[in-house]
Amino acid sequence: MTKLRHFFRIYLPFSRAGIQEMVAYRANFICFLIGEIVSAFIMFFVWKAVFASSSQQTFNGFTLEDMVVYVFITFLTGYLTYSDGAFAIGEEIVDGSIATRMIRPCSFDMCFLFHELGSRLISIAMIFVPIVAGVEIYRCVITGSVRFDIPHFLLYLLSLTVAYGISFYFNVCYGFMAFFFKNLWGTSLIKETLTSFLSGAIVPLAFLPAPLAAVLNFLPFASLSYTPVMIYMGMYSYAEIAYRIGLQLFWLLAMFLLSKLIWRCAVKRLSVQGG
Amino acid sequence: MLRYLRLHRIFISQHLKRLMEYKTDFLLGAIGLLIAQALQVMFIGIIFSQIPELEGYTFDEVLFIFGFSLIPKSLDHLFTDNLWMVGYSIVRKGDFDKYLTRPINSLYYVTVERFCVDAFGEMLTGILLLSYSIPRLSMAFHWYTIPLALVVVIFATLIYTSLKTMTAAISFWTKASGHIIHMLYMTNDFSKYPVTIYNKAVQTLITYVIPFAFTAYYPASFFLTDKNPLFCIGGTVIAGTALFALALFIWNRGIRAYESAGS
Repeated sequence: MTKLRHFFRIYLPFSRAGIQEMVAYRANFICFLIGEIVSAFIMFFVWKAVFASSSQQTFNGFTLEDMVVYVFITFLTGYLTYSDGAFAIGEEIVDGSIATRMIRPCSFDMCFLFHELGSRLISIAMIFVPIVAGVEIYRCVITGSVRFDIPHFLLYLLSLTVAYGISFYFNVCYGFMAFFFKNLWGTSLIKETLTSFLSGAIVPLAFLPAPLAAVLNFLPFASLSYTPVMIYMGMYSYAEIAYRIGLQLFWLLAMFLLSKLIWRCAVKRLSVQGG
Repeated sequence: MLRYLRLHRIFISQHLKRLMEYKTDFLLGAIGLLIAQALQVMFIGIIFSQIPELEGYTFDEVLFIFGFSLIPKSLDHLFTDNLWMVGYSIVRKGDFDKYLTRPINSLYYVTVERFCVDAFGEMLTGILLLSYSIPRLSMAFHWYTIPLALVVVIFATLIYTSLKTMTAAISFWTKASGHIIHMLYMTNDFSKYPVTIYNKAVQTLITYVIPFAFTAYYPASFFLTDKNPLFCIGGTVIAGTALFALALFIWNRGIRAYESAGS
């Protein structure tokens, strides 16, 4: 118990710093969000046009209403699981300030994690409720009945948390790429776009050819976005949800161990220039 | 004018020298943009595997509009990418002083300083899409089609550049405006699809308020159908000219309001 309290005594100040940063730059955050949500609205209009141009009511098991929920919950999930601690690691490696981090008596990934959680707290509070409420009101108006289901929603929150963990450690691994590439802009563009495709954020995996979809469903990328969104939508049975969350936990562990391994190797190789 | 052209050549060759130093960086940036666009094209392909036409537009027509939208976008990206840095950091750090102390126009100097070759990734996708879709479309081809297309592309690029200049200039008053540039710039994605798929509010927004629809859909639809030249082509020219005049006005007012970072 005292150990746990000690743990939070060390890391909570990082969260507080994150919150303060976020409060200071909240106008920036709102502008950024409006710019990003444009892509979700484009998807919304494109899918509406697709359904309007066809006599079919469903495509690969998705109705128009499902598709709209899919688009906006995918946006929300992508936003909430987004992690950019990696960028900071990259920058610190390049400018050498990682050296001070290494002499601190705390673990580097926990520092980033708590700092990021703090800075996300405000944005989550601002974005989560409006999007979920908007989606549910839309569903209610279209179908004429309340589709909001508490067990699935809670399972979504669980799956979302695991997805964030995977994203965090995946990006920590990626952050170490700064050892090899000086500029992370190009590689992160490649990473972002490939991840968004492989995780089903551009088009639901069910729309892809069956063998490809089967492979992608198993890879860690599906755990980032597709799994939580499908759980939210109630597309999976409880048995399947158990399997999917189990798979997510497996990938979380794998990413965690991988990041530790890379960290250990990287520390040996690290040479900070100047001083 | 000639002096500026000569300067431009010098700046670009300087920049290319710097690039040779970081070849992989450039390649990765261009490949990243190429992949990003290719995946969007794949999305369109998946959609059309389900339906024959999207609101009356065939696969080839949608690809033509999409490809057309990338040409002005990539040209603007290539030449004026430094405006982002004005919004994000140059003004905030007080580095803008440098641009005011040289005997050339400050807006020209800022934009010419960076030559963003990553944009070739977008441009290549655009050219590939156009050269794939044009032979498959039965477009009316006149003697004036190509010169007209060049003029339209110039004014469409000007729409991009002007909107970026205006929002970057806001930083002269507020110190930083990168996120405002981002917010406005992202709406250009609306122009990649036929405007008819959107509702009235979005159509009005991207036609009359932030006229990105004139960078792709309207001119492209003229080339596809030969109809409404006055609105489709004239609109692009007017929007480009008017926005550019407004952008210059805001930029010059902004410079007067600019205060360097004190230190």
